[in-house]
Amino acid sequence: MIRCVEVLLAIPDNEAWTALATLQRLGIQIAELERGDLYRCDVEDVDAERLVETLSGIESIFNPNKHVLRVREDDGPGPGEVWIDERGTGTTAQRGAVRIAGRTLAGVRALERFTAWRLFAAPNRPAGPEVTQAATETLLCNPAFQEAIV
Amino acid sequence: MSVGVLVFPGTNSEEETLRACWAVGLEAHLVRWNADLDEVRAHAAYVLPGGFAYEDRVRAGAIAAHDRLMTVVREGAAAGKPVLGICNGAQVLLESGLVPQLDGSTRAQAGFAPNAPLGKFRSTHVHVKLVIPPERCAIVASLAPGAVVPAWASHAEGRLAAQPDVLERLEREELVAFVYCDAAGRAVPEAVPNGSALGAAGLINARGNVLALMPHPERDAWTYMHHDATRERARGDASAMLASSGGIALFEGLASAVRA
Repeated sequence: MIRCVEVLLAIPDNEAWTALATLQRLGIQIAELERGDLYRCDVEDVDAERLVETLSGIESIFNPNKHVLRVREDDGPGPGEVWIDERGTGTTAQRGAVRIAGRTLAGVRALERFTAWRLFAAPNRPAGPEVTQAATETLLCNPAFQEAIV
Repeated sequence: MSVGVLVFPGTNSEEETLRACWAVGLEAHLVRWNADLDEVRAHAAYVLPGGFAYEDRVRAGAIAAHDRLMTVVREGAAAGKPVLGICNGAQVLLESGLVPQLDGSTRAQAGFAPNAPLGKFRSTHVHVKLVIPPERCAIVASLAPGAVVPAWASHAEGRLAAQPDVLERLEREELVAFVYCDAAGRAVPEAVPNGSALGAAGLINARGNVLALMPHPERDAWTYMHHDATRERARGDASAMLASSGGIALFEGLASAVRA
């Protein structure tokens, strides 16, 4: 069973703001940009609440003073969204005894880590696929060592 | 003829890079990100120093690669001006597509990815060996074939990564200018600090006037910078500590390229 947990900043996201300003300057028609750390987990019998409890207890992933953590309903990118995976670093995909920050995630068989970017053409209106693709190719993904999932 | 040492928000090695340029007799000036572009165009060469341009937001070098200054660097490179990127500057050059520019592409064809294993930051003294004919690149044309240059690797994203066909072409077309090696010049796997493909430490563009070098030669430009340099060793012989060291060779090469 696949569960996706997303960690978002609850405070202003400087990185997303810089990316937004750069994309707009390069002519990409978007109005807003959000970024999150996304963990796609292949779980055995772990219910969502237990997974949230485990991940929210890892300080290097979740700081309650500045983060929001949520379990997503879907297990892939939504409209206007692109997930970026860094290939071959040994940090993004794990199988077997999955460990993060020195802790084993009980009941998690495999874990993949992505950066999720959400692009909006206007407030609450996701960007279209062409704009998302253009932003991905222009800035968000270096295909030499990253993979974009849209 | 002057050299522009580019400064983006977050660049942090501009002063020592500037001093290394001065030490080899180059007229060099800092060029900030908000400089007048016509003044930037007046420089005969550009150096992109190390640091964390734009805090490495999105990816190391990714935002700076689209900075307004880079339009001038791109014009200059196309006109044959020498361009040297060091560490974060090297990352910017790969992200901007200025290196390697296979088939004239202006898109990123390679990148310096997080170090292997585990993407950890490493700061360690290294040696790099010139593995192309010196005449292949203007900036190293004055170096001896097979020259070994000491430098400091200080990065978390220095692992050359590219698709297999690109890596094959980089090697075949003599675009990997420097590989990591031991002090004796042997390119052994244990000399590579970051898991870099092909053991690569530095790449050039197809034309040979742009060099992207990950380790810092300016941090081994004078003897006092050596990790075994101590006050005790310097006592009574301060001038020896101020003597040029191996890393200055890259800047001598840059000076030769500028004057050519």
